[in-house]
Amino acid sequence: MRNGHADEIAKLIEPGRVHRRVYTDPDLFELEMQRIFGRAWLFVGHASQVPNPGDFITTDLGRQPVIMVRHRDGSIHVLLNRCTHRGAKVVNERRGHAQRLTCCYHGWSFDTDGKLAAVPVPEGCADGFDKDAFGLAHAPRAGEYRGFVFASLAAKGPSFEDHIGPVKGNIDDLVDRAPDGELALDAGMHRYAFNGNWKLQVENVLDSYHVPFGHASTVNKDGVQFARREGDRKGATVVEAEKKQTAASWKDRKSFIAGNGHGWTSNTSLDDGKRSSPAFDEYKTALAEKAGAERAKDILTPRLHNSLIYPNMSIMGLNIHVRVIKPIAVDRTEVTIYPIRLIGAPEAMNAGNIRLLNVTHSAASLVQSDDLESFVRVQKGLQSHMTDWVDISRGLGAEEPDRERNATRALATHEMVVRAQYKAWLGYMGEAA
Amino acid sequence: MAADGYSRAVFEDFIIHEASLLDARRFRDWMGLFADDGTYWVPAVPDQQSPFDKASLFYDDRELMNTRVERLEHPRIHVQTPPSRTTHLVGNVVVEDTGGAKGEYVVDSTLIMVEYRDDAQRVFAGRQRHRLRRHGDSFRIVQKRVDLINCDSAFDAMAVPI
Repeated sequence: MRNGHADEIAKLIEPGRVHRRVYTDPDLFELEMQRIFGRAWLFVGHASQVPNPGDFITTDLGRQPVIMVRHRDGSIHVLLNRCTHRGAKVVNERRGHAQRLTCCYHGWSFDTDGKLAAVPVPEGCADGFDKDAFGLAHAPRAGEYRGFVFASLAAKGPSFEDHIGPVKGNIDDLVDRAPDGELALDAGMHRYAFNGNWKLQVENVLDSYHVPFGHASTVNKDGVQFARREGDRKGATVVEAEKKQTAASWKDRKSFIAGNGHGWTSNTSLDDGKRSSPAFDEYKTALAEKAGAERAKDILTPRLHNSLIYPNMSIMGLNIHVRVIKPIAVDRTEVTIYPIRLIGAPEAMNAGNIRLLNVTHSAASLVQSDDLESFVRVQKGLQSHMTDWVDISRGLGAEEPDRERNATRALATHEMVVRAQYKAWLGYMGEAA
Repeated sequence: MAADGYSRAVFEDFIIHEASLLDARRFRDWMGLFADDGTYWVPAVPDQQSPFDKASLFYDDRELMNTRVERLEHPRIHVQTPPSRTTHLVGNVVVEDTGGAKGEYVVDSTLIMVEYRDDAQRVFAGRQRHRLRRHGDSFRIVQKRVDLINCDSAFDAMAVPI
């Protein structure tokens, strides 16, 4: 697989199945780093993480270290975190504030737009040394939509608009919930890791099929999950306890795809108009004052569970957060979950969201930990060579058009979304970088 | 005398007992050591000031603790199949001089927990702070806070309290 010929890669994906090597082959993983993470539009961070000039965060795009920093003129720059002199990682903090970004090794310092500002002992520079040619490299392309910053490490490819277009509505659904129309990703983060391939997490965010069994330990004897949103007294009905089968309302949930590997799952009404708590009621009032009563009611109608913006991030509309998926090795993945604060919402409402997210998505949470166990066991099971194929055929042929969102729809317990992810995967992987 | 007529050993015995209940997987008895308004907190940020404005690894009140314990007792908790085995070591116990105000005491200690599960062993270490309230001839936990030295790192799945 080292050469990555298109016809060889195409053989790994069939209409309702995926070859196990897609999850286990280290050479394929290297190709993914070049062909997917080396050129796709990747989520970098949110503008609220760098509110003031000089504020920065560091992260990785694929395995390449980057800095997202706000410059004096207010612009956000996505810079490769690699000194142009001898290659050291320039910024070592996960977040911070600096007038200049200074390398620890020989002290080269860079302005917050990446330009090389100063070099110690400049008289030693070679004749004709051009400072302008030694700025920190920018990600070749960057784009922002409502505070969400994405970058591509390739100079050419589909435009940001082409990539993000089909899921703008999913971002809007979240941002519009803030009475002031703004989000803040400043409430810390959950970080977890697992010994499994990154795509196991990507596939899982839109997988509604696993919930009744995979999360059985989170469902009470009546088949109902605990509350996950401020103001709810209980969560979704997942299982019909008497019949010991997946609840009809759960089976009715829908999933959607709209190109580029993106997709989302619908939500079910949980507390049907009864959602109430002092914090939620105050929030509802604040939202109605800003957006108007009708619009507020519409905004608060639950539509989305998870939305996947392929390949590396998802947004959850139930207990709101942003999830970023980072491949480390073919069998190792790290995930960061950012709680979201709705600007203009009462503090208690945001505090409620933060607390409930601990319950579902911390490394020690009641929900995420069982998913991690499943990912680890898939990675172990796929070591078996006797069965080459992973089945993703549920609902194959049962997809239908959804005119409202210009999307394709299926039952959420089907696997249309996974097939769509592999269509996008093939699109990236089938072409040499 | 460490505080209010109690010797340090009295507090030390209590937090060793608390740790031993976790090691014995007697989660319900462990929960019983907490006051009705008690909380169990494992911050995800060094020196975290509040559980309400930043994410935490754990921040359980009694209701959530009960949900967590019910899950730990559930036959289909996949992440505990097989179950974790743990051993806690508690030391460097310091009782803060609070003068027993409101009958409450603050006890700091160093905690090391080694966990073994499914062929893998790992170590959790940090400082813990117990806020205790006098209850008959023993105590109830008002808050147990565990500050892991690596609290802001990426963890593989965790299921049992530290």
